[in-house]
Amino acid sequence: MRESLDTLRNEFLARIVDGASEQEVQRLRVEFLGRKGKLTLMFHRLKEVPPEERPGLGEALNELRGFVEGKLELRLTELKRREKERLLQAERVDITLPGSRWERGRVHPLTLVMDEITDVFVAMGFELARGPDIEDDYHNFEALNMPPDHPARDMQDTFFVSAARVLRTHTSPVQIRVMETRKPPLQVIAPGAVYRHDDDATHSPMFHQVEGFMVDSQIAFSDLKGVLTHFLRRVFRPETGVRFRPSFFPFTEPSAEVDIQCFLCDGKGMVQGQQACRVCKGTGWLEILGAGMIDPEVFRFVGYDAERVSGFAFGMGVERIAMLKYGIEDIRLFFQNELRFLRQFA
Amino acid sequence: MNFTLSWLREFVDFRGSAQGLARTLTMAGLEVESSRPLPSMQEGQEDWVMEVAVTPNRGDCLGILGVAREVAALTGGHLRLPPALPAARSSGIDRLVDVRILSPDLCPRYSARMVLGVRVAGAPDWMKRRLEACGIRSINNVVDVTNYVMLETGQPLHAFDADRLPTKRIVVRQAGEIQKLTTLDGVERALVPGDLLICDGAAPIALAGVMGGSDSEVQWDTHAVLLESAHFDPACIRRTAKRLAIHSEASHRFERGVDPQGTLYALGRAALLLAEVAGAAPVKGVVDRYSRRAKPAPIVLREKKVSALLGVELPRRRTEHILTALGMKVQGRSKTAVRVIPPSYRSDLTREEDLIEEIARLTGYENIPSRLPLVRPAGGGSNHRPARERKLRAFLLGEGLTEMINLPFTSAEMNRRFRGLWGDKRSPVAIVNPLGQDRTELRLSLIPGLLDNLRTNLAQKARSFHCFDFAKVFALDARGAAEEKQQVAGLLYGARERKGLRWKDETPPTFLEVKGIIEGIFEVLGIGPEPAWSNSGVGSFLHPAKAAVIRLENRDVGYLGEIQPDFCEAAELEPFQVFELDFEALAEYAPRQLTARPLPRFPAVARDLAVVVDDAFPAQRIVRWMKDLNHALVEGVEVFDQYRGSPIPEGKKSLAYTISYRAEDRTLTDSEVNQLHQQLAARVAELFGAQLRM
Repeated sequence: MRESLDTLRNEFLARIVDGASEQEVQRLRVEFLGRKGKLTLMFHRLKEVPPEERPGLGEALNELRGFVEGKLELRLTELKRREKERLLQAERVDITLPGSRWERGRVHPLTLVMDEITDVFVAMGFELARGPDIEDDYHNFEALNMPPDHPARDMQDTFFVSAARVLRTHTSPVQIRVMETRKPPLQVIAPGAVYRHDDDATHSPMFHQVEGFMVDSQIAFSDLKGVLTHFLRRVFRPETGVRFRPSFFPFTEPSAEVDIQCFLCDGKGMVQGQQACRVCKGTGWLEILGAGMIDPEVFRFVGYDAERVSGFAFGMGVERIAMLKYGIEDIRLFFQNELRFLRQFA
Repeated sequence: MNFTLSWLREFVDFRGSAQGLARTLTMAGLEVESSRPLPSMQEGQEDWVMEVAVTPNRGDCLGILGVAREVAALTGGHLRLPPALPAARSSGIDRLVDVRILSPDLCPRYSARMVLGVRVAGAPDWMKRRLEACGIRSINNVVDVTNYVMLETGQPLHAFDADRLPTKRIVVRQAGEIQKLTTLDGVERALVPGDLLICDGAAPIALAGVMGGSDSEVQWDTHAVLLESAHFDPACIRRTAKRLAIHSEASHRFERGVDPQGTLYALGRAALLLAEVAGAAPVKGVVDRYSRRAKPAPIVLREKKVSALLGVELPRRRTEHILTALGMKVQGRSKTAVRVIPPSYRSDLTREEDLIEEIARLTGYENIPSRLPLVRPAGGGSNHRPARERKLRAFLLGEGLTEMINLPFTSAEMNRRFRGLWGDKRSPVAIVNPLGQDRTELRLSLIPGLLDNLRTNLAQKARSFHCFDFAKVFALDARGAAEEKQQVAGLLYGARERKGLRWKDETPPTFLEVKGIIEGIFEVLGIGPEPAWSNSGVGSFLHPAKAAVIRLENRDVGYLGEIQPDFCEAAELEPFQVFELDFEALAEYAPRQLTARPLPRFPAVARDLAVVVDDAFPAQRIVRWMKDLNHALVEGVEVFDQYRGSPIPEGKKSLAYTISYRAEDRTLTDSEVNQLHQQLAARVAELFGAQLRM
């Protein structure tokens, strides 16, 4: 009888192979454990064995039944798991299809650059100010130390809306307007549109500037250098070379032109050995800012005492910085507003 | 201004290459814009043409002598003047010519010499080459000599054919009422009082400092030449040159200030060169009328001002050395200050700050240390505006609108059609000197710019175009004062674009979707009062039944709607939506102070109300009425459906509202809510002539 037990176990094991379907598992259950099942019959035959062998054999039979039940159960669970898995697989998406989303609107690259510029100064404690686009001659020229018949007015071809009113040619009049109404300490940044009577690939009749100035009791040229160097290294690369050289603006004295090292040729002026760099025209430097110590005449116009306060001012062209940053060669692209262009910017 | 390196070396000794010189000058404020090698006559002798951008304050550097002075000051090189033929003391010339200045304020100095026996011919090659390298066309040896000396000294000279001056009485005076002069370029110029003239007796022969007259021009048969070397008032020259749009080498220099002390050297230099290249015999003596003698005023320079303005302490020895190297004379010293007299050729130096700039320039800006100042914030009221502008932009970008930046110029026609939000009492701002006929005015509205952008992008095969512009518009008020306002406008053409697989039913935004954008704007800006939407006063460029004016506390702050179908038809466009809002008006409403409410403790019960009303009935009226009831248990009411068609009769529509009931202190019972809801429904039916649908 013990031998037939082993035969039965082997037979069961041979039948419950990996491929067995749920139906086969149920059939096996009936065949072995059903009322007339092979194992059930073995229990019936227990009566036929000698009483002293019964306990041992009974234990072996119970063990085999437990084994068969366990195996059947395991197989069923496995089959259910596989079925669930199959159903999930049927829901498979093609993860290489494009993501589905609304097209975003894009911020204009000039706004992007203008925000970037003002953010650096705001983080340094500067506040934002604005002024009118239609300016009077006094604020746009005279109070900035450009009297009528001054040759410096030639530097800025002007749009007139009447004899005494112009479209501001720079953001510097905001300096005057702020100083007229407030007392130092002042640290102000003034972004905005400006206008010049000019129209070609590098000049637009409207463009944007960011003006900034700082007035307090002890502001020196070295502060101007510090603030602008910090700014340029934030907007360009942290290791950018910055150079200050003398220049002339009627409303600053001393005046400076601020250059950064050309990032295309790394300030060498040459690319690929011999060719003159097209971005900096071979000079190694890019003019980026005009700046200087506020001229005492300007202080006189706004009623400040140049013996008690000093300050610096600076101005920069937003389009120029954007063109350098993004390698744009035609300024008109900014104002044609083609989605093909605008969508290139994050 | 251009010069050649070899020419500069005739004035000053210096070592180093053209590149080195370019760097030195650039870093001292004379920006060398280009330097290029010049093909030289002799093999192996290289020469360079340097182009310098001279700032308007440095008229003295519009001559090689001025540049040479800078080089000498910067490098310590030795400065020298090329030879000249000084005028012998003689009254010889006085017998030939007489000079009288009637406007000494405008002509402080007038010097003249005479040469005879001139043989007019082409100038020698060396002279021509130098002139051409500097961008000046060779005319003949006499004119070329005047230009050559001007390039050297910065002093403009004029050569008159003395035989073509009948009276030989030079008079410098202002033009009379009606006067004309034909200038060298053959153009007849109408003169106005204020123009300074050089006359022969009564007849004008030159526009002083601007251009000579053609009658007295040196010609091939010229024999005797009167050389003029004068000093004129910069502003006067500029006014005339600007009015007549003449930009001559002479006017360019006079406008920027010429050395009043330099007239005689320039004459002597020209006389020598004329003798050399034109075989001329100079007449002895010189006429020199110098009634207003230039006397540079002394300037006091305080040590502490230098360090205060530059942020660096410089030894006294160093600053004085710089000033004297630049030609200044030390007149006196104290413990803390020095008094100097600037040279006559530096009319730009009149103040202490001017001297400090010179010190900084020669010290080298790169040698001034860099430091970060202490920023002392001004404090005071908070400015919400920049933050709200960014919120507005971010919101519109999220709604799929792309930002445009447009020029503010437009045509009178566009301003007539799109008046924006200005009303009838404002008129457009006209540009006095526009760039083109379609850009004669400043825009009243941002819409014309967006229409241009639409056309540009449709031409590039864009499937749809959703954009906004956030910029200023301009107008004149009744008294002619200019006004400008920041506005935001949008245009939505075609279905909003999607990335990824195509949707089946992509449709362009409707009026209500654009209204949703406006509501969103009010929400992100935190505008407290609710806007009212009105059909009256809608612009004629909008669809009369699909547009609204937006009012905030009885003031028009914007509009939205579909563009007039006729316009779309004419322009071959699909129907599309626009909006424009007065940001200036919205900015007047400070952002609403937010206070968080605790979450309600008891549940709300919602009941729907469907009514049949006339087709023209505005849905909002029932909402308004219910809100105005201020019933303690009515928490909110919203329209959620509108339906036309069977079984609703023609000319009617069905509106569905959902009303939310809630009590603060208990859970409402069904019967309580039902009773209240029925009461309200009955009131609505009665008040608005509505038929209830159950």
